[in-house]
Amino acid sequence: MSLLDDPDAPMRGLSSRQMAFYRFSRNPLAMIGAFIVLSVALAAIFAPLLAPSPESAGAFVDFRNRHVAPSWDHPMGTDNVGRDVLTRVIFGYRVSLMLVVGVLGVAVPFGIVLGLMAGYFGGWTETIIMRFTDVMLALPPLVMALAITAVLSPNLFNAMIAITLLWWTWHTRLIYRIVKAQMNEDYVEAARVAGASHAHILFYELLPNCFSAIAVKISLDAGFVILFGASLSFLGLGIQPPTPDLGTMVATGSEYMPEMWWQAVMPGLAILYAILGFNLLGDGLRDMLDVEL
Amino acid sequence: MRRLLDIKDLSVGFTAYGQTRQVLRNVNMHLDEGERVSLIGQSGSGKTVTMRTIIGTLPMPPGRVESGTIHYDGRSLLDLDAQDRNRLKGTGISIVLQDPMLSFNPVLTIRRQMDDIVRYSDIRLGRKRSKADREAHLIETLQKVRLADGMRVLESYPMMLSGGMRQRVLIGMALLNKPKVLIADEPGTALDVTTQDEILALLNALVEEERLSLLLITHNLGVVRKMADRVYVMEHGRIVETGTRDTIFDAPKHAYTRKLMEAVPPLYGAKVKTLQHEGSTTTIEVSHVSKDFEKKGGLFNRKTGNFRAVNDVSLCIQQGDIFGIAGESGSGKTTIAKMILGLSKPTEGQIKIDGQPISDFAGTQEFRKRIQIVYQNPGSSLNPRRSIADQLAVPLKFTGYSSAAIKTRIGELLELVDLPQTYSGMYPHELSGGQKQRVAIARAISVSPQILVLDEPTSALDVLVQSTVIDLLHRLRREFDLTYVFISHDLSLMRNFCNRVAVMLRGNVVETGNVADIFDAPAHAYTRALLSAIPVVSAEEEALKPKIKKQERDEVLASSSVLEV
Repeated sequence: MSLLDDPDAPMRGLSSRQMAFYRFSRNPLAMIGAFIVLSVALAAIFAPLLAPSPESAGAFVDFRNRHVAPSWDHPMGTDNVGRDVLTRVIFGYRVSLMLVVGVLGVAVPFGIVLGLMAGYFGGWTETIIMRFTDVMLALPPLVMALAITAVLSPNLFNAMIAITLLWWTWHTRLIYRIVKAQMNEDYVEAARVAGASHAHILFYELLPNCFSAIAVKISLDAGFVILFGASLSFLGLGIQPPTPDLGTMVATGSEYMPEMWWQAVMPGLAILYAILGFNLLGDGLRDMLDVEL
Repeated sequence: MRRLLDIKDLSVGFTAYGQTRQVLRNVNMHLDEGERVSLIGQSGSGKTVTMRTIIGTLPMPPGRVESGTIHYDGRSLLDLDAQDRNRLKGTGISIVLQDPMLSFNPVLTIRRQMDDIVRYSDIRLGRKRSKADREAHLIETLQKVRLADGMRVLESYPMMLSGGMRQRVLIGMALLNKPKVLIADEPGTALDVTTQDEILALLNALVEEERLSLLLITHNLGVVRKMADRVYVMEHGRIVETGTRDTIFDAPKHAYTRKLMEAVPPLYGAKVKTLQHEGSTTTIEVSHVSKDFEKKGGLFNRKTGNFRAVNDVSLCIQQGDIFGIAGESGSGKTTIAKMILGLSKPTEGQIKIDGQPISDFAGTQEFRKRIQIVYQNPGSSLNPRRSIADQLAVPLKFTGYSSAAIKTRIGELLELVDLPQTYSGMYPHELSGGQKQRVAIARAISVSPQILVLDEPTSALDVLVQSTVIDLLHRLRREFDLTYVFISHDLSLMRNFCNRVAVMLRGNVVETGNVADIFDAPAHAYTRALLSAIPVVSAEEEALKPKIKKQERDEVLASSSVLEV
């Protein structure tokens, strides 16, 4: 029994969306997450305006200012060829977010469509799609990505392809499970009795009920894609210099540990900051939209 | 007489989303030793909140007791500390919950779940008992609730027991520590009417044997008449009327109580309305239809046999009929409905609509303009993420309406089911249960079908809402010359709504005919058993119900391993 459906209650007038935002705004961690994600996105978009020395983003060399410790001029110090680390971190967010948009922009729709089809049609469609998904999930992701980028040449685009090939599986599994649970609901049968086509049922009846789970999954995913891309770059198989990338910066900087710690630690903290933001946002969305993953 | 439970001026509020709502307002009630008291009201009236406040399981926050006191046997419950209050659970006040399936942990045996109650209360009360002693106590308690084969029940997992047995075990669990007050929340409402009847008889017997005081929470007035000495009527968190059972039933004073009484469809007597209709042309012809489902099991989910859900059923439904298919759960009534709708194919036999076999045209536009369905639960049959207009548009869109025509038709449909036009942009959760069912009815009639299958369309609704939905269905039938196939387990409603009925038992139609004939002179023992089990609201109806001998009843119902009350 719902305790909230008394007819003369003053609760009326609050739509479910308003209630969801109320829950979100009362959750300090979610608000912090939203703030972090917003700051990362703004930094990436307005990088040329925000960065203290935009020329450091490219193949810039200033040997007089190598290995300068953090100071007012260089808040995060400079690297082994004298480039400003803060500038490179801000531009590095650009690359990371491009990776996120590129990977999720392809993997999510692809995973969703496969998951919808497997859950709705059942039978052979389900067996083929889901067993193929299982096979893909059984491959160790980093090894797989290393193999792909090693065969193709290591650059941003190929890193995107490698991560995309691995990422859709999680969305297929998620959507498949939600659709399976919905198949017992009468509205699916009601749509069929009303003569609705398969495409209508898939995209207008089933898909809207997956939206909140997808939103949560995407925001949690974004952090992991950044981390995965950084791992590839760290191993030298992702983004190539001189393009500023957080993973590459940690790899190069680690050679100068521990004396010149800022070169590895600052980009590392930047990765931590972004992932933390996406994860807090994702958790907040999960509480707000009340979904289970 | 001792006053066991005394509630004075109890007010409870709920705070959510920055707003506070008053859920209980100055509730006064009491329960004396050996008394049976009922608390009745519609869903959302505050019955369950009252119960939870008494037993101390009200979630706080958001709930808060704003004023008032609850005394149990002279002690103020709301002032007791947690430990003292816990000591009263099961020993002072005990509770039987509504849904016997949800109240058990499915992966533990009954023995474990019952034994835990005894063990922990022993620890709380500082008693010492051996395992064997505890088991003897469990078996003895199961005997009390008329479960003869106690050992077997203890070894079972919840899903291995029937609904009625689970409910008995649940009652047994409540009695393990010999409570003085038993609170029963809608006992048996999730069960079939014949099983419910047994459970109610059992509760009545236990009140006497164990000298219990019973607080019964229910929305079913028939149950109240059978089970209560005194009645409290609750509306919007207020007690609006109270009195002995006879004064409430014979001379209700408050308008709300009177409305509740009048909304209950009568089973017998002068108030019964009989729908007169004699059709001339046959619309649906079901001839010798059977349906088998495969049973699967074992390694690799092999086929291990067949289960016959419907067995050689023949029905003939006339144009303009309201044809009722009655039966308890598992009788095959929904399976027949699905076959009539062409959603599943009969294993044997044939179904014709207007002389045309449905296998020829199921799934076509023409078929959809012939027959549509209204489901039992509008919460499930309406998509929660789509607006009312979107959902009403689906059948229209796939029967070739243009988008302009769809818009005007949605307006017409909302008007037909008495909903304001502004509802078209709303989502299902913004509507009440009755309004949602109106939307579902509008969707079903949107492409002007001639036949509607109504699958328990009102069983998820409160009795007051039910009567308005039934009125709407009557009006639509007159206006559009509709034929209804009405599937239900509610025979009182069927008596007043249908003109012809078929009674089903385990896949077979045992009796079919005009509604007045079947109810006044039921030929089959099962029909008599069903009718005699229905809780009715007046002595007049009680007297007119068919009588059935115990032996005959047991033969048709075959209730196994349950001792007689």
